[in-house]
Amino acid sequence: MTMENKHVLDQIPDYLDGTLDKETMKVVEHHLANCMECQKELEEMRILFTAFNEEEITVPSDSLKAKFENALEQEKTQQGKVVHMTQDKKPSWANNMLKVAASIALLVASFQMGGVFQQKKVEKEIAQLKDETDHMKQTAMLSLMENQSASKRIQGVSYIEEFENPDEAIIQALANRLLNDDNDNVRLTAFEALSKFTSSEKVKIVLIEALEKEKNPSIQVAIIQTLVQIQEKKAAEPMKRLLEQEDTQPFIKEQIKAVLPSIT
Amino acid sequence: MEALSDEMIMQKVSDGNLDLLKVLFDRHHKHVYNFLYKMSGDRMLSEDLTQDVFYKLIKYRDSYNNGSFLSWLFTIARNSLKTYYTRNHKSHENIEVLAYKAVEEEQEVMENNAQLQHALNQLDPADRELVVLNRFKEIRYEDLAEMMGSTPGAIKTKVCRILKKLKHIYLENL
Repeated sequence: MTMENKHVLDQIPDYLDGTLDKETMKVVEHHLANCMECQKELEEMRILFTAFNEEEITVPSDSLKAKFENALEQEKTQQGKVVHMTQDKKPSWANNMLKVAASIALLVASFQMGGVFQQKKVEKEIAQLKDETDHMKQTAMLSLMENQSASKRIQGVSYIEEFENPDEAIIQALANRLLNDDNDNVRLTAFEALSKFTSSEKVKIVLIEALEKEKNPSIQVAIIQTLVQIQEKKAAEPMKRLLEQEDTQPFIKEQIKAVLPSIT
Repeated sequence: MEALSDEMIMQKVSDGNLDLLKVLFDRHHKHVYNFLYKMSGDRMLSEDLTQDVFYKLIKYRDSYNNGSFLSWLFTIARNSLKTYYTRNHKSHENIEVLAYKAVEEEQEVMENNAQLQHALNQLDPADRELVVLNRFKEIRYEDLAEMMGSTPGAIKTKVCRILKKLKHIYLENL
């Protein structure tokens, strides 16, 4: 009963469009029969809808379609599809044309086959070359990291950018730098390089070990932040130990106190 | 082919059957053009942008996510228009507002239905867009909601409110 007494103003557009479900339709019709206000709204809305229906649909020019189909054809050839040969209409010519077409097709096909084989060979060579350069890069990187000069060692560590998936040897070399290098900058660069591969278990273990060994406060802070970011639970114990050590910098202690709850 | 839904056709296009894009072009290019024309009032621009929209369809066919095709199509159209206005109005004014303002001048020619366009122009662009999409192409509330990141119910209420406003302006000027 309450529904019938309520105005149906919000249903009027859908009522005119005929998109109401049967139930609602009945309610709306029933209400409309008795309500002047809604009837007025209905009539006014009908005028607006008529205007919409009579509104001229402006039509784009034909060149639009032509241009679109052109672009489509272009895309198709890029997709590598073969364009069909049109058939000759004269029957007397058909036979000859077919022969010519067949020989052309044969020629083109063998030419392309040659091309494909050539291509494959080249690709193989390129792959081999790439392998070799990767190997050389790795050798260069590893030997640079052992260099006497700290700046050369940093350069070696920075070479990590060249590798998408560094192998065990590279990770180990970086870990050695982070754990054992005397130079702060080398350790920091090694840490930054390693922090990109925190999904590796090995890297996580190295970072925890470094946390306990590291004495440079700014590197300590960086390691703590990374370990918290990856939510490494095993880092909690070493952090607590750092808290208890006397030689730990006060602000490092503060930092640990702040983040410790989030990983324990 | 006639019976296939837009979504099914677009799916096949994504799978590599490029020729089917012609079917989608035939079905929808007039609506896209009209939407752009109603929003910009500029025939040349609307034609260029329509062109653009369907090029993008070719280019980004792989990124079709199996959602409502109309939502996808008109989202591309809306973005093309927005990008156009962003590029061409480098001022710091709000783009949304600036976006579709140019309509009126070109519409000076008094056609039979100029009043409706005139009334539409009084709405702010976001409202006008919604009502144009809903009325001229009869895009369902569900699809509109998908485009605008809203819910069908909220869109229905909004469209209804805008229609009332538009009706008021329109009848006043008759």
